[in-house]
Amino acid sequence: METKIKSKALQEFQEVTKTLVNPAIQDWRDQGGKVVGCYCSYVPEEVITAAGFLPFRIRATGSTETELADACLSSINCSFSRHSLDLGLRGEYAFLEGVLWVNSCDHVRRIYDHWKRKIDTPYLRLLSLPKKTTEPQVEWYRQEIAMFKESLESHVGMQITEERLWEAIKLHNETRRLQRQLYELRKREKPPITGAETLSVMVAGTAMPKERYNQLLRELLDEISQSDGHADYRARLMIVGGILDDPAYIEVIEDQGGLVVTDSLCFGSRLMWKDIDEGAGDSLTALARYYIAERPHCPRMFGDQPRRSAFILDMIRDFKVDGVISERLVFCDNWTGEQFMMGEDLKEKGIPFLKLDREYVMAGAGQLRTRVQAFLETLGR
Amino acid sequence: MVANEKELERYRQERDWFKYLCSLLEQDPSELSQLSSEVTKVTIERYEEIIRCAEEDKPFIMGYFCAVPEIYEAMGLPWYMIMASPFLAASAPYLLDDIDAAVAMGLGTDWCTACRLTLYYIEAGLTPKPNALIGLIHPCDAGNMLHQAVARNQNWRDVPVFALDPPYFEDQRGIDYYAKEIKRMIAFIEEHTGHKLDIDRLREVCQESNKQYELWLEYAQLRRAVPCPHGWAMGGGQCFGVCQVMAVGKPSGTAWMRKLVDHTEKMVKEKKGPVPKEKIRYFWFDLLPFGWIFEFLPWLEEEWGAVLVMDMFGYTPYTPIDTKNEDTMFKGLAKRNLYESPMIRQARGIADYFTTDIRRVVEDYKIDCVIWPGHMGHKDGSASTGIMRETCRDLGVPYIHIGLDLFDKRYTTPEQCKDKMSQFFATMGLG
Repeated sequence: METKIKSKALQEFQEVTKTLVNPAIQDWRDQGGKVVGCYCSYVPEEVITAAGFLPFRIRATGSTETELADACLSSINCSFSRHSLDLGLRGEYAFLEGVLWVNSCDHVRRIYDHWKRKIDTPYLRLLSLPKKTTEPQVEWYRQEIAMFKESLESHVGMQITEERLWEAIKLHNETRRLQRQLYELRKREKPPITGAETLSVMVAGTAMPKERYNQLLRELLDEISQSDGHADYRARLMIVGGILDDPAYIEVIEDQGGLVVTDSLCFGSRLMWKDIDEGAGDSLTALARYYIAERPHCPRMFGDQPRRSAFILDMIRDFKVDGVISERLVFCDNWTGEQFMMGEDLKEKGIPFLKLDREYVMAGAGQLRTRVQAFLETLGR
Repeated sequence: MVANEKELERYRQERDWFKYLCSLLEQDPSELSQLSSEVTKVTIERYEEIIRCAEEDKPFIMGYFCAVPEIYEAMGLPWYMIMASPFLAASAPYLLDDIDAAVAMGLGTDWCTACRLTLYYIEAGLTPKPNALIGLIHPCDAGNMLHQAVARNQNWRDVPVFALDPPYFEDQRGIDYYAKEIKRMIAFIEEHTGHKLDIDRLREVCQESNKQYELWLEYAQLRRAVPCPHGWAMGGGQCFGVCQVMAVGKPSGTAWMRKLVDHTEKMVKEKKGPVPKEKIRYFWFDLLPFGWIFEFLPWLEEEWGAVLVMDMFGYTPYTPIDTKNEDTMFKGLAKRNLYESPMIRQARGIADYFTTDIRRVVEDYKIDCVIWPGHMGHKDGSASTGIMRETCRDLGVPYIHIGLDLFDKRYTTPEQCKDKMSQFFATMGLG
């Protein structure tokens, strides 16, 4: 699908998404700034920002092989875990001052175990993330974040004050608000931005300083809110899944005529659909409440499935979605279960649903093309 | 609500299979067969208890060995595990057909087969519906998703669900938090079953189960002997079944454990083991391949003189529960269930448990090689294979990662496993 956007901002976002160490990171480091990698969207990045570091979401962009990681993991571990660990073992993540995990899934939590044994990074920490979303878990995670903050303070040698935390929360909330504005434009009958372009914008938000990102995103919003949109699509699609950070995957879908107008992805709407409550009394409680109780969740959160399902159904209604495509990394148990439940829920509502398996590094574009074409035909488009 | 016939049909078939097994065991006068027959009788009683509850509309729950069964026992509440069937030989006649049916249902092929089968049984209406469900959201992702899918199932949506939230690291804060989760679970069970917890009764159960675990430890230590007194056919699985599932805190379970210890002591004194000449002592670091066990483990003994000296479910360093007061009891239960239960202990948290267990077992049990079966569902364990290999290398003990499905013998066939093991033993100069 051809772009309608001429903005330099979008080009910069796309550059950032295509590379690991992008120019914005390079500038940050040249000015003496330090970068901290995060393995999951449940890491409270606001604390990293408040410490004066740049949070950077770990990807495996550019990875082509997994030989080093294969000696640590096994063939039944997902390709994201193998590629990202491999990059770490090859020294591609040597620019990181620290890496943070939560116990997100069985594959990624083991990368922590290998990283601490094999890769020399100054600061490593795994936060114990609850699997339920009620008040005792909010309190547990508040304590986890407090301990993380203390440990980061002693690593940096400075105090992370309430004032700095609130500044960081406001900055990250501003990013979320701007991203939601972008999604708002996609509700139009002629959305001005494609799904692939949107994913570039979203991924870039995890890989560059927030101030610069917000400025560029404002520029992009100014341009596209006035522009003509895409009218030549066969169907409006929603994409649902886990760690999809490669816009090329969505490009293949959109090249068949299915315009991706919204999503529930790790790098998509789940990052920003809610704000952290700026009116809460205590910043750590506000952070814990956001991450445990308020943000849209991924399947690992027990007891939340009806809410996740409702989130998708609301999206389908609001974005006038014709069909849902769910993608899953092979060997991902969380998304196997979620795809099964989602399929049943959507069947009950009569909403067309396509279930796809994929590898982290884009492969099998031909097969994807065929599956999407067939799906669009079943939609009668 | 009284259960429908379909829900109980499979359950009755499994019970009948165990009755048949029991009748065969009773005909064999050997002490080992008699011990096995007693465990089988308890299994049958548990089946009958659940069937009775379902037929007579009496409360029963779905629980887990690592979700504080001491509480269910103290409350006098019958319980069963929805994930049990794939692990029991009674499911063998239809296991492969059931796996195919689960795949056809859209559950894929790379999700843990035990979880796929369990969800299939629920979706197909082949499991008795309990009054309340204690879900398990650790140690693996598949288990977490299974219980979410069960809660979502059209016919089970009216079954109230509770799950204990597991902290990731082992420390006092984790124990305190989990103890509070246990209290929340009790409130949930009381609300939905009408059964109440009596703290004095819980104390009795804990004290009795402490005796069971003490005997289990004694038994585990006897397995250090050369030759090992028992192989794969008697040991961890039965101790686990008695102490953590079938006779939790019951004097009958303690009596069985005592008999097992007595019998084993005799075996050690007589220097007897499961094979005429023990040549290889191996540590099987996982569950046993229940779906096709008879096609593989006896062969290791017969062909190679290879004896399973310890396995994941046999090696679990339990701490006795301090029954001084309510607080110490709950914290003890938290520690036991969260940090000491087999598989939960190794798979729930950081990979260090894999290394410490290997080190202890290899050194204490004179192990010649470590076998990581690499069940296709155990993603976290297989993601630790490099760490296990390096630990074994440090210890100078050969390590093998097979890569199999504990339930589906078509994944890696028994013949392929045998070939792999033969090559491994030969290359390592074992046997």
